[in-house]
Amino acid sequence: MVLSADPRAAQAAKAAQTAPRRRRARRWHWLVLAIALTALLLFPLYWMLVSSVDSISSLFSVNLSLLPNFGDLGSYAEIFRNYQVGLWLVNSLVITAGSAALSIAVAVPAGYSLSRMKIGGDVAGVIMLFTRVIPGTLLVLPFFIMFSRVNLLNTLLSVIIANTSLIVPLAAWIMKGFFDRVPVDIEEAAAIDGCGLWRTFLLVAVPLVKPGIGATGIYAIVLAWSDYLFPKTLLLSPSHWTLSVGAVSLIGEHTVDWNGLMAMGTIGVLPMVLAFAVLEPYLVSGLTAGATVG
Amino acid sequence: MTATQEAAVAAPGRPAPVRPPRRLLPTKRTRFHLLLMTPAILLGLLVLGYPLYLVISASLKDIGILSPSLLASAQTTTQNYKELGSDPSFTQAIRNSVIYTVGSTIPAGVLGLLTALLLNQKFRFRRVFRTLILLPWAVPTVVASFLFLWVLNASYGVLNYILKQLHLINQYIPWLASPHWALVGVIIPTVWKSYPFFCLLILAALQTIPAQLYEAAAVDGAGAWARFRAVTWPGISPAVYLAAVLQALWAFREFEVIYPMTAGGPAGSTQTLAIYLYNEAFQFFHLGYASALGVVTIGICVIFVAIAYPRMRRNLSRS
Repeated sequence: MVLSADPRAAQAAKAAQTAPRRRRARRWHWLVLAIALTALLLFPLYWMLVSSVDSISSLFSVNLSLLPNFGDLGSYAEIFRNYQVGLWLVNSLVITAGSAALSIAVAVPAGYSLSRMKIGGDVAGVIMLFTRVIPGTLLVLPFFIMFSRVNLLNTLLSVIIANTSLIVPLAAWIMKGFFDRVPVDIEEAAAIDGCGLWRTFLLVAVPLVKPGIGATGIYAIVLAWSDYLFPKTLLLSPSHWTLSVGAVSLIGEHTVDWNGLMAMGTIGVLPMVLAFAVLEPYLVSGLTAGATVG
Repeated sequence: MTATQEAAVAAPGRPAPVRPPRRLLPTKRTRFHLLLMTPAILLGLLVLGYPLYLVISASLKDIGILSPSLLASAQTTTQNYKELGSDPSFTQAIRNSVIYTVGSTIPAGVLGLLTALLLNQKFRFRRVFRTLILLPWAVPTVVASFLFLWVLNASYGVLNYILKQLHLINQYIPWLASPHWALVGVIIPTVWKSYPFFCLLILAALQTIPAQLYEAAAVDGAGAWARFRAVTWPGISPAVYLAAVLQALWAFREFEVIYPMTAGGPAGSTQTLAIYLYNEAFQFFHLGYASALGVVTIGICVIFVAIAYPRMRRNLSRS
């Protein structure tokens, strides 16, 4: 720090010296608060993990131990042995990847044209809200009839199509928000350069909305992975089930294998933790555009 | 390339750039835009339009099992809608739906707001905490549902255990087994699963508030609360409003949290419209009646949207 004759500058220098110290102290208390809040909010997930590795006897004891005692690691081996968990995991992955890919393929062009058409904003908003008023339980029956007519019942494709139909409206709306931020000037410049409409769209506009595609992708992944109603009704044979459907089938009428169920839940959450850790940054930035630009 | 480049370079200097005839371009462009919309429109008609048509026509028929051939032969009747008026389960389902929707949306909104404000501060490992705090959103709904079935278990649930250890309760609460508590029991996982949605939208809005506004407020000597009222809240209220509308619509039709936990019981205390609809359709095979319930659900949501949309639109266009 350079000494200065100007008292104002000296004051500023002093302020600059103390400010970071104060700010750092405040940052510490935010950190402490964040740890406490995270511990509270994620406790259920922690408890799921603990329950999946504890022995039945300690789960049903009067004096619960809040720490894992790893009494029964066999619950994982057991559910893999007793149920087609591996197959369900693959089915869930196929459905999730398929739904995400198809949703992006449909929602990106739709979002682009909504953004470039004059009435696009209202149309997108109304359609997005409209699909949110139909109860999923109500859609299940017509879907069942439709897919049985075209012989798609009991196929993963039927669930992919059903999922996509519910993801696309909001996804297109998010994508519209992103395309709204791409200046039309850039596209006009590309057009003057001799770019056709297709090339302008694919080579100029789409690369500029990559974060939006990321946001749409994670939205689609979370929704498709989580889905229960459609696979439950459209996939009839256990070998076609997804993790969600399989897991619920572990809940018996009178007895529940809590160990196995918690192990199943942990398996169901892990892939999302991974996907989330990778794609989470897109989520906030993605919704920044989607939420604020109509 | 050289010719087009020349044109591009020359364009800014010229007062009137050479453009293709204007009339031709828009039609071609509009056609292109419509082409890009086609898959989305087809998907919408196929998987939303047709089901809606089926459901509305089924609600006007006296049928048990839904099949297109039955639908065509059955007599048209308004009986299903008349029955609604004298059905106590229907009134209870509406009451439950409203309590469940309001009771989960408000706490989720408050929790989402608090977490978003925290995550918007600068501190170490902020990104890690952001991922962790948003994580419940990525937990599959049915996993959240049976996880809380376990956490809220009347005899062995960890929540009862902790509350008792902290001397907050004397006796274990039968969260899901008593008609008094069951609605609270299904609201808890709903709040847990949906606060990240608020957090996410609010966080996104917080990041669009210019830092200069806070600096200006600090210069004016505004305290934390005054800064929140004058700068933060105006910046995020459109996002809060949007999230609340979307969340309420979601909760009103929610099935996957409640059904695996209680299937609407005990004694119908958690039977919302969506659950009632499902039970009527798949347990009792009253398809016509279930469809009528569905149409009423849609009707209520549409009215809600019609009330909420103008303000949402104003908010959006202002920002």
